[in-house]
Amino acid sequence: MNLIEMRDISKVYKNVGFETRVLKGVSLHIQKGEYVSIIGPSGAGKSTLMTIMGCLAQPTSGVYILDGEEVEELNDRELSNIRNEKIGFVFQAFHLLRGVTAFDNVMMPLLYCRKPPKDAKRIVEEVLDKVGLGHRMHHTPGQLSGGEQQRVTIARSLVNDPRIILADEPTGNLDSKNGAEIMKFLDQLNREGRTIIIITHDPTVANHARRVLTIRDGQIVSDHANIPQSQAGAVGASAS
Amino acid sequence: MRIFRNLKQALLGLLRHKGNTVLMTLGVIIGIASMTVIVSIGEGTKGKVLDRITEMGFGPDSFSVLAGGGRLFFPKSQNVTSLTLEDADDIAALASVRLVVPHQRETMRLVYRDQNTSTRVYGVTPDWILSRGWNLWDGRFLNADDMRRKTRVIVLGATPAKKLFPREVDPIGKEIRLGQVFFEVVGLLEEKGLTESGYDPDDRTLIPLNTSMSRLFNKTYLHSIKVMALSPSLVSKTMLDVTQLLRRNHGLSPIAADDFRFITPEGIMEWVTQSAQALNRMLVLISTVSLLVGGIVIMNILLVSIRERIREIGVRRCFGARRSDIISQFLFESIFVSLLGGMLGVGLGLGISIGLQNFSPIPTRVTWEPFALALFFSTLVGLVFGIQPARKAAYLNPEETLR
Repeated sequence: MNLIEMRDISKVYKNVGFETRVLKGVSLHIQKGEYVSIIGPSGAGKSTLMTIMGCLAQPTSGVYILDGEEVEELNDRELSNIRNEKIGFVFQAFHLLRGVTAFDNVMMPLLYCRKPPKDAKRIVEEVLDKVGLGHRMHHTPGQLSGGEQQRVTIARSLVNDPRIILADEPTGNLDSKNGAEIMKFLDQLNREGRTIIIITHDPTVANHARRVLTIRDGQIVSDHANIPQSQAGAVGASAS
Repeated sequence: MRIFRNLKQALLGLLRHKGNTVLMTLGVIIGIASMTVIVSIGEGTKGKVLDRITEMGFGPDSFSVLAGGGRLFFPKSQNVTSLTLEDADDIAALASVRLVVPHQRETMRLVYRDQNTSTRVYGVTPDWILSRGWNLWDGRFLNADDMRRKTRVIVLGATPAKKLFPREVDPIGKEIRLGQVFFEVVGLLEEKGLTESGYDPDDRTLIPLNTSMSRLFNKTYLHSIKVMALSPSLVSKTMLDVTQLLRRNHGLSPIAADDFRFITPEGIMEWVTQSAQALNRMLVLISTVSLLVGGIVIMNILLVSIRERIREIGVRRCFGARRSDIISQFLFESIFVSLLGGMLGVGLGLGISIGLQNFSPIPTRVTWEPFALALFFSTLVGLVFGIQPARKAAYLNPEETLR
């Protein structure tokens, strides 16, 4: 079954006097458990595609079906619930809450659950342990390195146990060593059965996926399978 | 509960942005403090006026009927000769009436040897002293015997006594002349002193009503009747009864205006406070403006802080915060700040009020009202001035906030 189905999606930004067509009829399907990179030069429409996939923006036209639900028909409350329950975001700039401990940052998505779990504290500690930050959970982002901060965002994206991880240039602000480590986590999450979608302009990062979509000028120009070098050791080598 | 989680986020947000929080709170503190001070000044003034009216001899259970229609403190219109002793007796017979004191009044010249002074002369019944709760300083008051025999005796207030008699002379027993009639001084009233407005309650003399009717003023109608009801709650009912009774006694047709009017503590109060109210209104305006300024400070700082926290809002939205969550978080922030500012402002305002009470002539009175007002207005300010920034935050496009 298709987890993500996009049919002829286009997105037009209206400015005073002129319109910018950022997406021009994108159609794609992503199955549950896939590991997909969307690659393309800057300005190609990658980020716009991601905001639409992440239910942060509605397409101007076209149909987007996420996990069987047609997104266009949903209101703010339902969209918020989808973002909360089905999607975990990882951003290039981390976007952690400043002055808030790693623990509370990871806790944040649980605040917006329809039914917050009783053992929220344990869940947060678990995901932080999983990214190797169990011992630093009471540090604020300012006290953590870039790599550690990105690990916190991965923990945050996982805390609600979403089916999809949407990562937008997850290694863009990191050095190669830390970048490799983050990719290792994403590879591992995919092995655990989560659908991973990475948006990047970096072929090395894209190479971790088993399917690579290339987008250019708002259209998908190629869609092919890829044989990843997802062994942890090989990642660091290729990144350097 | 989701709303409590938002509340907690709001409080944590305020803690994280202490500078903004302090500035916003300060805005409200100033507004609420000035409101508190102004309310206490208003209350203090009202209290002073009430005290003065009580000094004038009006307890909450009493009122006066004045001959002549028209409005209080305005020239009387008509027929000032219609109020009589029979009316007074009829009023005294009403079930809700405890005491009735009919008055006659003229301003006359008093002469003792080569000294003379002009003062108000009242013809009253011996109950006058009961109705006023005024003490004698020396001698005796008018009594029933004076009334029956129409004796020529007089009780002096402190002002005419001072003007007529040198310090070393004891006025008791001396003969003074009013017009062509000699009176013996039998008593002296205790001195009350000038009121704030400059009215001299001591500038009066009292003679028996029967004497004034037949020997001095030579008229049978009354100037006024003081009525004391059995209890304050009976006053308005008694006034209605008195109105009916007097209209019947005076044979007024249903369309004719009253030929008498009432003086009530409330009536005087209203009149006296009118000038104070003009001042009060201005003060209220000032405090409203300062509260408004406080609200605008909150709104501005919130709007600025939303600029600063645009990322935070975007991230929260990404991870499932609804518009309503963002609205309630920011509204809670502004309401909490206003409430905090309100509390501190009331504290500051009360401090200032107590200071004014002790170190300045401005009368203040501390009541519970500022607390309620502050609670109400600061919540209102928080709501009104918080809603716009909160909505703005919630309707930010999440995709744009994360660029």
